Amino acid sequence: MIDSKRFVTTTVEIEGREEMTVVEVPAFEPPPWGKDAALDTVGHAVPRLDAVDKVTGRARYTHDIRVPGMLHARLVRAGVPAGRVIRLDLSRARALQGVRAVLTGADLPRIPWLGGEPLFGPAVHYWGQPLAAVVADTEAIARDAVRRARVRCRAAPHRVDLPAGKASLRTGHSGVTPPEIRREERGDVTAALGGAEVTVTATYRVPAVVHQALETHGSVVHWDGDRVTVYDSTQGIFRVRRELAEHLGVGQHQIRVITEYMGGGFGAKNSCGAYTVIAALLSKATGRPVRCIWDRHEECVDAGHRPETEFRVTLAARRDGTLEAIDVDASIAMGVVGWPGGPGKIFQELYRCPNVRVVQRFWYGNVSGMESFRAPFHAEGAFALEGALDLLAHKLAMDPLELRRKNHSPQDPTKQRPYSSELLAECWTSVTQRIGWGAARKRKKTAGRFVQGVGMASQVWGAAGGPPAYAVVRLNRDGTALVQTGTQDLGTGARTIFAQIAAEALGLPMKDVRIVIGDTDGGPYTNNSWGSMTTPSVGPAVRMAAEDAKRQLFEVAAEILHAKAEQLEARRGRISVRGGPSITIRKVTEQLGDIMIMGRGHRGPNPSGVTVHSFGAQAALVEVDRLTGRVRVIRIVAAHDCGRVVNPLLAESQLHGGIILGLGYALFERLLNDAHLGRPLNLGLHEYKIPTYADIPEIDARIVSVADPVANHIGSKGLAEPPIIPTAPAIANAVFDAIGVQIRELPLTPARVLAALNEAASSLPG
Amino acid sequence: MRIRLTVNGQPRTLDVEPRTSLLEALRDGLGLTGAKLGCDRGECGTCTVLSRGRPIYSCLALACESQDLPLETIEGLGADGLHPVQRAFIAADALQCGFCTPGQILSATALLRRSPRAGDAEISRAMSGNLCRCGTYPKIRKAIRLAATTR
Repeated sequence: MIDSKRFVTTTVEIEGREEMTVVEVPAFEPPPWGKDAALDTVGHAVPRLDAVDKVTGRARYTHDIRVPGMLHARLVRAGVPAGRVIRLDLSRARALQGVRAVLTGADLPRIPWLGGEPLFGPAVHYWGQPLAAVVADTEAIARDAVRRARVRCRAAPHRVDLPAGKASLRTGHSGVTPPEIRREERGDVTAALGGAEVTVTATYRVPAVVHQALETHGSVVHWDGDRVTVYDSTQGIFRVRRELAEHLGVGQHQIRVITEYMGGGFGAKNSCGAYTVIAALLSKATGRPVRCIWDRHEECVDAGHRPETEFRVTLAARRDGTLEAIDVDASIAMGVVGWPGGPGKIFQELYRCPNVRVVQRFWYGNVSGMESFRAPFHAEGAFALEGALDLLAHKLAMDPLELRRKNHSPQDPTKQRPYSSELLAECWTSVTQRIGWGAARKRKKTAGRFVQGVGMASQVWGAAGGPPAYAVVRLNRDGTALVQTGTQDLGTGARTIFAQIAAEALGLPMKDVRIVIGDTDGGPYTNNSWGSMTTPSVGPAVRMAAEDAKRQLFEVAAEILHAKAEQLEARRGRISVRGGPSITIRKVTEQLGDIMIMGRGHRGPNPSGVTVHSFGAQAALVEVDRLTGRVRVIRIVAAHDCGRVVNPLLAESQLHGGIILGLGYALFERLLNDAHLGRPLNLGLHEYKIPTYADIPEIDARIVSVADPVANHIGSKGLAEPPIIPTAPAIANAVFDAIGVQIRELPLTPARVLAALNEAASSLPG
Repeated sequence: MRIRLTVNGQPRTLDVEPRTSLLEALRDGLGLTGAKLGCDRGECGTCTVLSRGRPIYSCLALACESQDLPLETIEGLGADGLHPVQRAFIAADALQCGFCTPGQILSATALLRRSPRAGDAEISRAMSGNLCRCGTYPKIRKAIRLAATTR
């Protein structure tokens, strides 16, 4: 049967960027699973399908891939932050016993890399930039060989931090470059500021932070004849395949990318890495499989980061708290390359405000390029916006909760159109009730050493997902099913929830459904797992494929049961005529023998005329030690609106994950780049501290939504990124409540807290 | 050099360099890839194995110095069905990407063997050497409590 196809244009939002794309309208759309849908598997706390593999050590990650004959590649890297390579001599490295090949720019085809300059080119733009590679029998020999490389660079002026004055120029990868500036305005901010009853202005800063996935970036590549097999730790197997095909000049059909298990991504593993290209070229050169894996220091230097950003924010309001204007000027230290998303966007999206002006200055400099990092730009912007809001509340002597309620936007303030669903006010109520907001805010701060405070913050995030995403469901003769889709599981639980969705739609128990993901040869296209898009994009495609298979199954069952296909339903492995006879699915497929039913599903376009966003709020209870300046977070409560939860176990884990990343952002994390040396100072996981077990407060995280049948027919919106957004501002606002002074720079280190306390003490009368 | 390791009760012989770490010997020499290399300098705990019943960072131990020590890896823990700590990690969803999970489970197992009724402070001290970037700590806490009550 050939489906009649229609192609239409729709808008897809990926991490704040809106893209117009042509999409395929599905031949049929199953009716949405609404709020009251009776579901047997979806919505239930099913343990992860891969949990046994993960607790027994059987799960094989890219790091664990061992292919017979495999060689090990290591990189020679630049020791200056800017300049030019004037000598690169690998003869002593090549002469080492066990070294099989070396690779320099001279050996490579021209592969466009940093902003179009060639990979392994002579121009150096950041400390640690790859210049050449060696490949050897063991990792240890490869390391020895790298030490024998002789590299001389002529250094050039560099800049690794944000310029002190906005007007100064800085050295970028194409010489001295001014920032890229984007200005957007709705309403008339200048006029609104002129007539404002109350204004506050402040500068907020957030540091560069690194993803630090415990599995570092890397690939194992085997170029065998005309086939290139790539094991990669990636968030996007199809994107890696496409980019690698372009870099190598081969067809996509020649490349197979496999990501069975991956040890975290958080946004840093969205593209084809240099390690993949280098491993492929060295595999071709040696005829052997090649493993190229970043070590922990390389992970900190050359795997992306959330950019350092400075915000100058002015809020104008009426005396009753109604926002009249938001004016923000943001400077972002992108690194050598990056994608200019918008830390100003959350200022436009989160609250109702008629006049909003956003100026964003994207500065390029001599650190490796920024990469998306869980809620890129929104996490940064939220710290400044939610901080400024509490500053305004302080000036107005108003409860921060009331100020937020006053400026709640029940519709999308950027497009002036309704949301598919929106429960932000319910999230505020939920978190403030559970943290004991009213009593805690009124509690008189003691004069003792330890002082407590509570703070809150909110979140909005584009969470529609969208096409294209495809899935196939195959029924076996024993009544079991195989689900194939080309997505990947970063640790989110995608593997499990798509099996749940397929089981639900087919009416099969989970044990009879197997799912194959993470293999470009093993399932049809889906997009990267980024932008909190995977569940709302792939989920409907999987459901449709299962419904398509079930539709065909019903045609056979109708014959057997002497009924009409429309009268049939499938649940718990049985097909029944409503209120009548039934038959097991297995009996039907056995009758078919080896005739195979295959269902095909794809994600249809997003609904028009509505905005699909996820919302949430968090509140924090903190204790500040006035003697040492240490901030201890005692409790965090979270409430999020993400439509339907497919699996509450996994949803709660996602919330914990975002909150704990946000806790690190609030209290410890910053990548220090030395302005003089032009290199990072705190590489690794000791010098760069991430939260550990002992840092974790009590966390009470809940989902307040039930289903959003307008968003898509499974009713789910994105969830992965939202929970990091409000955590750091909620903690900072709690510290403000505790000590009465606002600290406007992350992380909230003891030194900054003590400086703020001193400032407060010196400003007191007498 | 030729060395003899006792891993999960089995004597194993393999050739290593004097500089080869225990982690490399386990992963590359014996194919036991449950222990991971996350940092190679004793910071993250993904390489945790048990030596004489105590958790160690196998990236910091030399293979040649680990002879005659009874070693236990995640592969040995689950050898005859799932261990109660493994079952508790599954039930509590105390894992996300799973990369740190073998190390977390071995640290938790060692803790509960020596201190079956460990209190919060003791759990915190015992588990702080195993980092998790996905943020599963609250559920690891839950899993350890669950395992302590069901053993």
